[in-house]
Amino acid sequence: MVEDTARHIDTIKLREMLDRQKGKMKLLLSFCVHCGLCAESCFLYMGHGKDPKYIPAYKAIHSLGRLYREKGKIDRALLEEIREIIWRHCVLCMRCYCPLGIDIPSMIAMARSICRSQGVYGIYPHSIGAPYEQGDTNMKVESNNDHS
Amino acid sequence: MGLRYRVYGGIIFRVVQFFALSRKKNLLYPCTKEKGKSQSSLSPEERKIHRIIRYQDSIIGRYPVVTVATSLFHVLIFIIPLFLLAHNNLLYESWKIRLPSFTEPAADTLTIVFLGLAVFFFFRRMVLPRVRSLTTAYDYAVLLVTASPFLTGFIAYHQWFNYRSMVILHMITGEVTLIAITFTKLGHMIFSFFPASWWEESIASGKGEGPGSSVRG
Repeated sequence: MVEDTARHIDTIKLREMLDRQKGKMKLLLSFCVHCGLCAESCFLYMGHGKDPKYIPAYKAIHSLGRLYREKGKIDRALLEEIREIIWRHCVLCMRCYCPLGIDIPSMIAMARSICRSQGVYGIYPHSIGAPYEQGDTNMKVESNNDHS
Repeated sequence: MGLRYRVYGGIIFRVVQFFALSRKKNLLYPCTKEKGKSQSSLSPEERKIHRIIRYQDSIIGRYPVVTVATSLFHVLIFIIPLFLLAHNNLLYESWKIRLPSFTEPAADTLTIVFLGLAVFFFFRRMVLPRVRSLTTAYDYAVLLVTASPFLTGFIAYHQWFNYRSMVILHMITGEVTLIAITFTKLGHMIFSFFPASWWEESIASGKGEGPGSSVRG
């Protein structure tokens, strides 16, 4: 039942949420100069062998940025991809900074809110009664090999 | 209406847009400023440690070379055209006003430094994985648009190739750059003055509650 509900994308709500902060967020996204100076402020980036997927700007561009770019074509697969970025690649510690003052955490937080509104959640291994516990591989505890 | 007025109109529009947006409250989460906490309660040693940590955690502490390079690049992009003798002569002919000018060898040297820094940023985009992963063709195009007026001006000054064609190309690239400020990410020229010091989320110039303060619940 939960899964059926989650399969449906509420486009009206989704558009409404995107439009609510559209001015600010699109301005922030469009003025990101892709300098990469935010990279080392992320401890996950530093802790994963400086994997570019953990760069704060990369996470914002590939989560909220994609939601704005593909506004009319958002499907569940896209939200699942974004879930990986905004929950597994970011813990929202809010330590990332940008020389231009772009507020990356608020972008990730907004992407999370949008995903939650569509029934897509970050599932942690210890979650009880998690709707996607079965078959979900995104939030399982990583083995030691994953960190290599 | 002349092109230049439309260009300046576009820049003014961006400034107004920024002000309009910055007045809005963050609709996601309320801002929770921690009041009453100051450094005055810390001992001098603690304050020193605080300063060291803050420095090491800052962009200057992490990327000193890029900080110097980018600061110089951004200063030069303003001062070279503004204090160039040839530009000031034209300004005098039009409006009978004249700004202080660099000597020609000094302006020439600064232009070479600027172009060298543009090359540095170009290779930085290509070589560093963290920057390459974020870079698109658009970023290279923006860098080219930024550097092209300086390159064409430099070539025209030295009268390499056809002088007349090069001066016309210099004027066209200059106009394109000014237009691009409004419509591309070069808008950070205007934008970066404001959020860095005014937005509550920003820590870039030492003011504010740090990134994401509006998310703290």
